[in-house]
Formats: sequence, structure tokens, C-alpha cells
Amino acid sequence: MTERAPCGRAAKRFPPGGLDARRASRATLIILLAPALLLYAAFMLYPVLRTFWNSVHTIKPNNVPAFVGLDNFRELLGHDWVFWKAVGNTAIFAIVATIADVLGGLLLALALFSGAPFVRFLRVVWFTPVLMSYVVVGIIWVWIYDYDWGLANVILRAIGLGSLEQSWLGDPHTALWSVMATHIWKWLGFNMIIFLAALYALPADVLGAAELDNCGWFAKLIHIIIPMLRPTILNLTVLSFVGKMMIFDLVWIMTGGGPLWSTETVSTYVYKRAFDWNTFDLGYPSAIAVLWFLIILAFIFGLTQIMRQRDRLEF
Amino acid sequence: MITRKLAAALLVATGLGWAAVPKAQAEDVTINVWTHEADEDAKVAFRELAAKNLEAAHPDVHVKITWYEKNPLLAALKTALPAGQGPDVLYVEPDWTEYVEAGYLAPLDDLIDWNNIEPWARAVWVVNGKTYGVPQEAYTNEIYYNKDLLKKLGVELPANAQFTQSQFLDLVKKAKAAGITPIAQGVGDRPFPGAYILGEALLRKLGKDDYRKLWTGSLSFEDPRVVDVFKWTKELVDAGAYPKNFMTLKLGESHYYFYTKPGALMLPMGSWYTGRAFVPEDKGGQPKDFPLGVMQYPAMDGGACNQCKTSAVGASFAINSASKHKDIAAEFINAMSTPEMGKRWIETVYLQTGIKADVKSFSGPYAAYFTELMERQKGADYFIGGPRDLTRGECKDSFAQVMNSAFPGGLLSVDQAIKMMNTACFKG
Amino acid sequence: MNPLSAAKPFAGKSVAYPRRAPLAAFALIYTIVSGGPFLWVAMMSLRTTPEIFASPYALPSSIHWEKFVDAWTKSNYGTYFWNSTIVVVTAVALLTIIGAMVAHCLARYRFRGNRVVRFIVLSGLILPPQLMILSLFQILLEYRLYNTLTGLIIVYVAGHLAITVYILEGFFAQIPQDLFDAARLDGYSDLEIFWRITLPIGVPALFTTVTLNFIILWNEFLYAVVLLTEDDKRTLPLGIMHFMGNHQLDVGMVATGLMIAIGPVILLYAFFSETMIKGMTAGAVR
Repeated sequence: MTERAPCGRAAKRFPPGGLDARRASRATLIILLAPALLLYAAFMLYPVLRTFWNSVHTIKPNNVPAFVGLDNFRELLGHDWVFWKAVGNTAIFAIVATIADVLGGLLLALALFSGAPFVRFLRVVWFTPVLMSYVVVGIIWVWIYDYDWGLANVILRAIGLGSLEQSWLGDPHTALWSVMATHIWKWLGFNMIIFLAALYALPADVLGAAELDNCGWFAKLIHIIIPMLRPTILNLTVLSFVGKMMIFDLVWIMTGGGPLWSTETVSTYVYKRAFDWNTFDLGYPSAIAVLWFLIILAFIFGLTQIMRQRDRLEF
Repeated sequence: MITRKLAAALLVATGLGWAAVPKAQAEDVTINVWTHEADEDAKVAFRELAAKNLEAAHPDVHVKITWYEKNPLLAALKTALPAGQGPDVLYVEPDWTEYVEAGYLAPLDDLIDWNNIEPWARAVWVVNGKTYGVPQEAYTNEIYYNKDLLKKLGVELPANAQFTQSQFLDLVKKAKAAGITPIAQGVGDRPFPGAYILGEALLRKLGKDDYRKLWTGSLSFEDPRVVDVFKWTKELVDAGAYPKNFMTLKLGESHYYFYTKPGALMLPMGSWYTGRAFVPEDKGGQPKDFPLGVMQYPAMDGGACNQCKTSAVGASFAINSASKHKDIAAEFINAMSTPEMGKRWIETVYLQTGIKADVKSFSGPYAAYFTELMERQKGADYFIGGPRDLTRGECKDSFAQVMNSAFPGGLLSVDQAIKMMNTACFKG
Repeated sequence: MNPLSAAKPFAGKSVAYPRRAPLAAFALIYTIVSGGPFLWVAMMSLRTTPEIFASPYALPSSIHWEKFVDAWTKSNYGTYFWNSTIVVVTAVALLTIIGAMVAHCLARYRFRGNRVVRFIVLSGLILPPQLMILSLFQILLEYRLYNTLTGLIIVYVAGHLAITVYILEGFFAQIPQDLFDAARLDGYSDLEIFWRITLPIGVPALFTTVTLNFIILWNEFLYAVVLLTEDDKRTLPLGIMHFMGNHQLDVGMVATGLMIAIGPVILLYAFFSETMIKGMTAGAVR
């Protein structure tokens, strides 16, 4: 694949790889890979295996872990309705917020790309929420949703829609959606930047050709831009979806899973069962985590399959 | 060469992390204390004073108090204690039974000077013959109300400060009609305030014995007396007794809602109301001239014990069973529990206490309040402990979700609520 | 044909303008939506709680700078900042170095086990934190790293290696192979190639990962809340929560606390936003 000029000195220094820059000595590989692999073994793989082990035990403080077989899973699948409630909430959250995130991010990116004024300024401002921690965002938005003086109700009253005022985070019907809106608000800027990067990387000649074809902006979007962005859309959808399947921080800070479990997610439930319940048992929450991981895995697999299939169908 | 550089960089980087871990002091002993009530100035001052007293008496002892709000404290304790870590001395409440059961608290029978503690208060903390907590705060459940608003509604409090159940319902309706929130209560960050009215009504209707049976699983929630009380409470709820943001209103916020903005007629609360209300106004305390009154929970028709009321132990202190300095930790708790400190508690916090204290005359800006509070204790027949002290597991959880939150929040019918409580609590 | 393209025959600016009006309106609205909450908090941070409750959305009538002094001296913010800085700077430095080493290997070399290594490292992308948090709790206790910043740093590095390698590998793989062949001919050692070629050329991608990891770790909450217990060890997000809990009713003070916490981020961002966003748009994350 490459030229091989004879060069004795270098060849002597690197006997195993020779001059092929695609090969490296074993020592090099070990030096480069060992730190990462050791870290992984000790702080990722071992914990994962440990969680699987935990999931078939009952682990209480000051007690020897007791093997319980699949009891935890049986309880989980058969009797634990809070878990199923949490699964439902998480699924709604993951699906709706992912769609909104990806579409919204694309919309924002297009707005900037198609020449909104002050692009540089907007790009910076729109990205700001991404920088804030969930704690900060959560606290601010709890205020925004406050029944008495929160911005949401104040605006509704101001424009004469006072009858729509809500205890946004206090009503089981609106709480999940309210938290979701905050989450979307925080992450839209991130998706925007990624899309913007992809848009700027589009080959100019294709866009130019479309221009010459007298192709309308909207038609250009549907027929040229979106198909060309497909890999980005796929990546963002999967990343965003997986991230939301694990959502914890914002929910924990804003509602703690309430009211009446209406915002309980799988992650908050795992946390509660491990560190908030009176049982102090680590086995059962581990079983939830394991089961949920398997579900996520299946989802990712399915999602990529669907996306690929559509690719194949249309091209 | 490059390898060495890299290794050096790694070392520096990890070294930075190691250096960040502070080293423990060698000779002096530092007692770590974690306590709730960070936002209650009088209690902060009280405990800091005890720490200072102990440090003055023992120069080689340092007391480091970390102040928390209740939920962050619980979150911190529930990871630290299973890890065998955490503070030497921790704030506890009698309903936190799981800490005792998990073995996180050290038995205190031989460590503490029990002569200074009221025996009835100590009894709250005895489990299987051992004592696990030292009571500091004691309280009774009261309904605080705004005297001016009551007058404005043209209603007069009966001489015994207790309305009947129908009078109370009328009062709620009247207040609502006048555009005043009848009861400023919220369950945004606590598992109990929403059940004050319902719980106290059950106590008066059932009497002490049956009330205890209800919580310990030997009296059904389908008992007609219980159903009656639920129905009455439902009428209150439907009449708009609670604010619209009931589900999210936090405990501290409900105080502010009651006495400042937007203002409400009543606030049912433990008598530890003072901790948040009697602080400067710009810190969320009640206005200086606020017309605060105290009334009894309403009498139930055919109630077995309408003079009954709940009295309970609140803030208490325990010692971590993993503590290496239990004896010194006990010294700190003793320093908070002397008769002088007990007196100081009453005079600065305006609240009952489990410490033996001899207070004959009250002075200070809130003396009138404390006199009124004592007035409401005359002839009272106390039931010691609240529902959360008596229930366990699923029943305790359902109490928090159903009786504290969903039912008064108007999300459940009487039948649904009764059924959910019975499934969780009644053992037949 | 849709109406937009029907308008096209006129072409040029005369057509572009009518469309720019709604675009500008949209931009304005979203700017208010995304930036407004911060302005609001900034405003509240300079007002007292009674002022705020009297009128939550008014401009500060008299500016209370002393609240910042108050919030700083009455809290442990100094410690929280220092802890966050140590943890995040160390973790990001380690992540960048270790991640680049792995990414370089995967992108550059053919070796046996290549696919296994890639699979193992990238599997971290889909391992949910809650799958590891419970056992990490136990494991760090056993390693005596529980409630230490070192423990948190290591967990952060392990947890974010996957995304770092993922981004870097994508970029490194695009570096023309000729460069490496030439370097090899010039007698560079493997490690020199990594140090002198991959890293310098990969700066835009490195910049992206540094920025991204910095943002994420600076704001990380779940691991920190489970793995740290002492006040003196708290990182900033935990510190803000603590501060907030202790000043529940004092909305003005909480707002001041929030501003202290996000101030440095905003400041850094004001200076580096262009570079940062350019770095991210430069192609590394697509």
C-alpha cells in the first residue's frame, strides 16, 4: 500500500513492524493500550459483572450477601408496579424528547444555516443552556414552574389564558411533560451545534447545483439536505435516545419522581431502592439495572436495524 | 524519553488527585456532627453553643457541625452509613426506624447521662430494651391560624379553642368563598404534613387504643368510623381547603404562604412551627405583628376522645455505630442536654423539649405565643407518636403517598384511598 | 410545487427578505427562551428575597452586591470550586492522554485483538451509569477510594473513555496515512509518531473532547452524590444543592448562589465560545 524505500537504520530500529506504519511493536501497543484497558477492567467491566452478581443476591449492610436466584427478577416482573410505571415514563420520555431534540436541533441549525441575522451571536446564546449543570437548570425551572410566581403561569395570566394555569410539577398529568420540556430546552443547543457542523460540511457543489435547478428551499431541505444528514441524524437519535433511557439528574432535582410516581424513571427508582428506601438492599436495585440494561441493548439494536433498513429501502 | 514524559505527566496528574485528599489531624479529636434544620436560626445557635461549651471544657476536642436540610441529610446518611462512614453524631427522628434495624446506631444506654432526659421521651427511642436516640425536641400537633382573618370571616373560636367537625367544614367553605386559602399546606418535600387534619381526626374519632390498632395493622380502614373521617376530609378537600400547589409546596414555603404571601387562614403543623416562623422577616420568618393564634384540631362527631392530641419527639441525636469516638460523641450530646440548655431551648426556640427543663416564667418577644401554646395543652390527653413512628414498610410508604399526598391532593376517592391503605396496612 | 419554490423566479434578495422576517422573529424568540432564564436569575441575584416576592420580574431597584459576599462567606463555595477544579482538570487531562493513546492505536495500527479492544472500549458508550453505580459504591469502598476525590476522578475517567475514544478515533482515522509512512521513513519511533504527528494534527478533535468532557464532568451529579459524602469533598453541583437546601425560603440568596456557581462558566464561555463552538463544528463530533 505504501512505498517501501530501503532504509536500513529505521528497519534495524523497528524489526517487528519494519517500515509498515500500520504495524506497531507489541511494546508500543502495550504502552498505549494498557492504561485504558486496566482502568476498564477495574472500573467498568468488574463493576458490570459485580452488578450482575448482585442482581441474584440480597445484599444488606452488615450481612453476608444471600443468594436468592431469580427472586429479584420475579418480584420485579411480576409484582413491582412502580417499576412498570417507571418503565412507561422513561419510554415516553425517551421517545418524545428524542424526537423533539433531534427535530428541534435540526430546526435551529437550519435557521442559522439559512442566514438568520447575527449568526455568531445566536450560536453562542443558543448553546448556553448546554453548559449549565442539571442542578442549576433544575432549580431555575422549578421556579419557572412555580404556581404563584413562576414565569409559566405569569405569562399565561398576562396573555389572558389564566384559566390554563397549572401546578406544573404538582399535577401528575403535567409533571412529566414539564420536566421533559426543561430537558429539551437544555439539550437543543447541543444538537444544533452537531447539525450545524454537519451542514457546514455538506459539499457546496451539491447545494449549488440544487440552487441552479431552481429548487425551492423547502424542496432542497427534503430532497437533498436531510438525506445527506442521515448519518448525523442516526447518530444523534441513538445517542440522544440512550441518554434519555438513563435520565436521572434532572428528574431527581425537579420532582424526585413525584407526584404519585408520575415522573418516576427507571434510574430514579434504582437510586431510590438503593439509597432512599429503608431496606438498604443493593441486590434488588441491581436487578432493575441489569434488566433495564438488557432492554436498552435490545432497543439500540432494534433502532439501528430499523434505520439501516430504511437506508437500504430508499437508496 | 517520550514514554518517560508521558509517565511523568500521568504521575503528576494522579498525584494532584492524591494531594487533594486532606490528611486527618493527628492528636486532637474532631467530632463530626451532621444535623438537619440548617434554616432554623434558633436551633443552629443552640447546637453551635453546645459545641462551643464542649470545646471550652475540652481543648483537645473539636466539634465540626455540618448543617443540612432534611432531604439532603437523608440522602447523605443513606449512602454514608451503609459505607461504614459518616459522622460521629447524627440528627435522627423517631420514625427513622430503619437506621436502628440496620444496626447503624450505637446503643446509648451506658453512654448518655439519662438523668437529664424526660423518661417518656426516652421511651420513644427504646427498641428491644436498648435506647438509640437522645430526644431534644418535643412537640404537639396544633392548628396555627391568623386571628385577623378569622375575625374578618365573622367566626369566633369557641372557648375551648376547638371547632366541631361541621363548624370546621363551614369555616373552610367561608374562607374559600372570601377568596382566602383555608389551609396553607404542602407536601412538596415531606411525607407527612398533608395528613395532619386526617390523622388528628382519626385519633379523636377512634380514641387512643383503636388509633394505635389502625396503624399497627389490627384495625381495618374499612371500619365505619374511619370511613366517616375520610368522608369528612374529602368534603374539606372538595371545598378547596388546600392550595392549588399543594403537591409541590414545600414545608418552608407553606409557612411563608401562611403568614406572608398570599396568606392563608390556617396552617396545621407541629409546634416546631416556631423554628421557621420566628426568624427575621427577610429570612422567611413571619411578620413582626402577625396575629398568630393556636387552635385545637376539630372535635369529631361521636369522637371517642376529642381531648386527645398527638405529642411526639422530633429532633433527636444518635451516635454512629461506626464512630471511633463514641464516648466523646456522647459528651457532645450530653452538652446539648443539660437542664440549662433545656431552659435555653424553650426560651429561644419557643418549643417543648425532651430535656428536663424547669421553666416557670417566659420572657422574650414571643412569650405570649408560648403562653397560648401552653394554654392549648390544658386537659389534653396525649397520644405519643405519629403515624410514621408506628408504621413500617409498605404501610409507611402508602401513608406518605395516599394519606399525605394523593387523597388530600384530590386525586383519589374515599373508596380508593381506603382500599389502598387497607391493602398496605391491615393485617387482618 | 410548493409555494416557496413558486416564488423563486424573482430570485435574489428581493425574495430572500420576506422570508427573513419570520426567521428573525423565530431567532429572537428562541434567544429569549434560551437566554432569558439566566438573565432572570442574574437579576434576582442582585435583589433581596422580599423584593423578589413583591415583584419577581422587576429590574433591580438598588443593586445588592453585598449578597455575593454574603453567599460566599456563609457557604463552602471556595472548597466546592477547588474540588471541582481538581477533579475535572485531572480527569480531563487523563482522559485526553489515555483516550488519545487508545484512539491512535485503533485508528492507526493493524494488530490482533484490534476489534476486541475496540468493542470493549466502545461498549462504554451504552453502559448505563446506573448499571455500575451500585457496584462502584461497593468496589470503591473495598479499594478504600470511597469518599475520595481520587476515586471520583478514576470513575470519571473510566466512564468517559468511550466517548473520548469514539470522537478521537473518528478524527485520527482521517489523518492521511502518507504522513505516518513518511515519518516512519524518517526514523520516528511509534511513540514519537503519536507524540509528534497524531497529537498535533489532532488538536481540533482533542479540543472537542476536552471541551465536551469538561462540560459534562463539571456538571456531573449522579456519581458525585453517591460516591462523596463529606461536605469538604463536595463538588460544585452537590455544593449548589446543599446551598439551596439550606436557604430554601431565601430565593434571592439561592439565586446569588446560582450566579456564583455559573459565573465562571459563563465567563469562560464568553471568552472561548467562538473557539469552542468552532472546535465542535470543525467536524470532530459529527
